[in-house]
Amino acid sequence: MAKNKIKKMREPINWKKELKLLPGYIIITLWVVFTAVVLIWILAASLSTSKEIYSGAVLEFKSGFHFENYSNAWNAQNVSVFFANSLLYATVSCIGIILISAPAAYVLSRFTFLGNKTIKSSLIVAMSIPSIMVILPVFSQATAWHITGTRWLLIILYICLNVPFTTTFLLNFFGTLSRTYEEAAAIDGCSPMKTFWVIMLPLAQPGLITVGIFNFLAVWNEYFVAMVFASSDKLKSVGYGLFSLVAAMRSTGDLGGLFAAVVIVFLPTFILYIFMSEKIIAGVTGGGIKG
Amino acid sequence: MKKDKKMIVAFMTPAIISLFIMFVYPVIRTIIMSFFNVESLTESTSSWSFAGLENYVKIWNAPSFRASMYNILRIWLVGGIIVLSLSLLFAVILTSGIRGKSFFRAAIYLPNVVSAVALATMWIQYVFNKRHGLLNSFFATLGFDSLAKTDWLSSDLKFWAMLAAFIFGAVGYYMLIFLSGIENIPQDYYEAATIDGASKLRQFTHITLPLLKGVMKTNLTFWSIHIITFFVWSKMFSPVDSESSTIAPVVYMMNIVFGSKGVTTRDAGAGAAVGVTLALFVLVIFFVFNKLIKEEDVEY
Repeated sequence: MAKNKIKKMREPINWKKELKLLPGYIIITLWVVFTAVVLIWILAASLSTSKEIYSGAVLEFKSGFHFENYSNAWNAQNVSVFFANSLLYATVSCIGIILISAPAAYVLSRFTFLGNKTIKSSLIVAMSIPSIMVILPVFSQATAWHITGTRWLLIILYICLNVPFTTTFLLNFFGTLSRTYEEAAAIDGCSPMKTFWVIMLPLAQPGLITVGIFNFLAVWNEYFVAMVFASSDKLKSVGYGLFSLVAAMRSTGDLGGLFAAVVIVFLPTFILYIFMSEKIIAGVTGGGIKG
Repeated sequence: MKKDKKMIVAFMTPAIISLFIMFVYPVIRTIIMSFFNVESLTESTSSWSFAGLENYVKIWNAPSFRASMYNILRIWLVGGIIVLSLSLLFAVILTSGIRGKSFFRAAIYLPNVVSAVALATMWIQYVFNKRHGLLNSFFATLGFDSLAKTDWLSSDLKFWAMLAAFIFGAVGYYMLIFLSGIENIPQDYYEAATIDGASKLRQFTHITLPLLKGVMKTNLTFWSIHIITFFVWSKMFSPVDSESSTIAPVVYMMNIVFGSKGVTTRDAGAGAAVGVTLALFVLVIFFVFNKLIKEEDVEY
């Protein structure tokens, strides 16, 4: 594979071949250019006054760059609260998901025991259950236990919702690790449980990172659960918070602030994507297809 | 390796508990609830009264539920044809040997990592906007006056505007799955076909398409589930009161369970019936695609 790549990079431009591919180039370039135009315009609009946006003079910056849109959105519009909430939900639930899923995936991939197959297939079934099938009883149960309106409830829900996907993903990953590590550890007198935490879990790092990014993005962008369970402003995450901002914008007309909020919500995932796009793409094609 | 019973129990218990509290118990309770008269979600089970199929009859008689089902049927069919053809086309272009493949791949997938709310805001507040929008100024520059004056978010066009924006965000995901399918097809097949003088188009219809059957099935199934739970886009395009042109079943369900503008009655039982109905559609889709698209075991 690696050899192949080097050969490709050194290949001189063969104009005849490239000409044949021209229609393909045109189609995807148009698509990507459109994406870029929208993103650049949004960025420019977030630095313009609402008046400039309304009059269509966004890319001229006649009155300079208006960074106050950002401070305005960040402080006055509560975006800082939404941002901190999303960060908390995404980080804590990512760790929680791994702590529950990794051991289960390891045991399921390494040992045969009663119910092993049943559990594996229930995980796949659970992955395809639409969240509308579960949200109503969860709501009534949470109300009965008086735990609605807390951050912990949202974190627990995000953890439980993502355990099936993560366990299935890691199950395949642990399957690819050689058993010789465990055998060597056993000879040295290391207990199986210790072997997992000290040797196998660190070895699974590439898989853990991929699935971790996935869960982070999923929780960061989550909307539905947040809408049902984070009704007050201080619990809202970025997705649902932005939704209420858009609604508020209709009365205030602060378009500049709105676009600044959009950029703030979008930026962390965008930066993560720039550095991790290979991992993310590998995760889509690796985890999604199975089952 | 020796089996360690204590370890199996210790490692499996948290995952099994989470499955039970998040999936097993709620699904069973939703199914039961759909057969009872339940007004509010928070009332105790003792006040439920058995209703048989009444909830199901009720939702299918409700005009807004039927409108919502009609909407997702159109999204599934029209959007499905466009999304799957576009994503297959992009995947074929990307594997045709062009330069900058990983850049294009990453750029096309990009909308999938953006919050759907942010993405929809970009479309509504910029692309489709009547005063400073991209589409209208684009058509004005080209001199198409009637197109430049179109209000893309007017009630006749809103549905199609929503569908276009949704398609833009969805293509990248399905493209990635097609892409990995095409990359799994051995290069020898194409080389042999080229030697035999088969054109690129013939190679596509006779090698690529037949060998992508399994991937196509995966994509069709994912697409169907994706559409059945269609929600955020509908909410974004008619945020205040759910208009019949953009309403989706999940929006309808949330409205009758939690109330909405102008709706004061709550009906959790009917809401559960909507959930069960949609889950049944998912089941039927799984079954139909499994029966319809027989995947031959291809060994490369």
